[in-house]
Amino acid sequence: MPYDLRRADARIKWLVTCLLATLGLSYLFGAVMVALYAGFTPGRVAATYAGPEMTMQMPPETTMVVTHPMSMTDFARPETHAVDTDLLIQDTHVHVPMYGVIAAALSLVVLGLSLPRAWALGLITLLFAAPWLDFAGMWLTKFASPHFAIVTLVGGWAMGAGYTVVAALAVKQMWFSQVKERS
Amino acid sequence: MKQLMLTAVLATALHITPAVVLVKRPDAVQALLPGADVYLAREVHLSNLDAHRLHQVVDWSPEDGVLTLYTGKAGATAVGALEFVRVDTPHGPIEVAVGFTPQGTVRGVIVTKATVEMKPWVLEAVAAGLTNHYRELKPGEAPGGAAALAGHTGNLAEYIAGEVDKGVARALAAYGTFYRSAKT
Repeated sequence: MPYDLRRADARIKWLVTCLLATLGLSYLFGAVMVALYAGFTPGRVAATYAGPEMTMQMPPETTMVVTHPMSMTDFARPETHAVDTDLLIQDTHVHVPMYGVIAAALSLVVLGLSLPRAWALGLITLLFAAPWLDFAGMWLTKFASPHFAIVTLVGGWAMGAGYTVVAALAVKQMWFSQVKERS
Repeated sequence: MKQLMLTAVLATALHITPAVVLVKRPDAVQALLPGADVYLAREVHLSNLDAHRLHQVVDWSPEDGVLTLYTGKAGATAVGALEFVRVDTPHGPIEVAVGFTPQGTVRGVIVTKATVEMKPWVLEAVAAGLTNHYRELKPGEAPGGAAALAGHTGNLAEYIAGEVDKGVARALAAYGTFYRSAKT
């Protein structure tokens, strides 16, 4: 195939390197944001997406008052950042197209790598499957069972793994591989 | 390509920025219930009828139909009551803490949360003295923070003052209807 990043012009290699660095930076801050608002454990992800909608109670027939003592520690307890259905619709609408564009960009890098056909197909599949798993997990957690939080975690880690593998292979092949010139 | 760019711009414009804590809840509690050392949470689970009544007055229903009012005491002396009210805006939610004196007037108002986008608007409004305009309001009175800031700050600070007004109005209605009347 004529498209080979190892033999590409230095300007193209630089473009791909800058793209990977920019995506890496956004992934890094994405991970920080996940840590702040959802967490990396199934329990915290389930609390974020399943939320009170899973346990919503009917209003009482007459207004009831329940009192309980509070300590300053209770006021300081971090609140769970809950994503309700409306916000999840918006998040899906905003993130999924962008994830598609990122997966496509990384797939174009994969096409320029020297890899066995099956590996390339596998990597491209991973790049697109990861965001699907991420959002499928969120929706399933909300409407099927909190146990599906694990699907979101798998999707998130798969996104990170896909990027890392593509970035490492691309940088290695573009800048650190000796290519035999064709005669 | 044009359509793709337009979609990306629209998606960015519609994206609500993350929430940030402007004042931590314990700090707000200490400021609005000064000297209190004992706190009580009073959860009012609203019936459909009462929820409807509240909605008619301030066009708002609390999350999950539960109003939570906190009271503070210093020894045996009542210090007052406090509510945290969330206001959903097209730019995301803000949270307003409204403190009441034992006599039932507003002791103070603190904006405790906003989004990254709205934070500078809130800070500008607060720096212009927004929260001073709510002191000593009583249930039944209308907060006029936005009107007081009109012409003295930027449009966005004035806009956010209107949203804080809504939070204060909700707190006044909830306190007047479900705390003060039940207490006496």
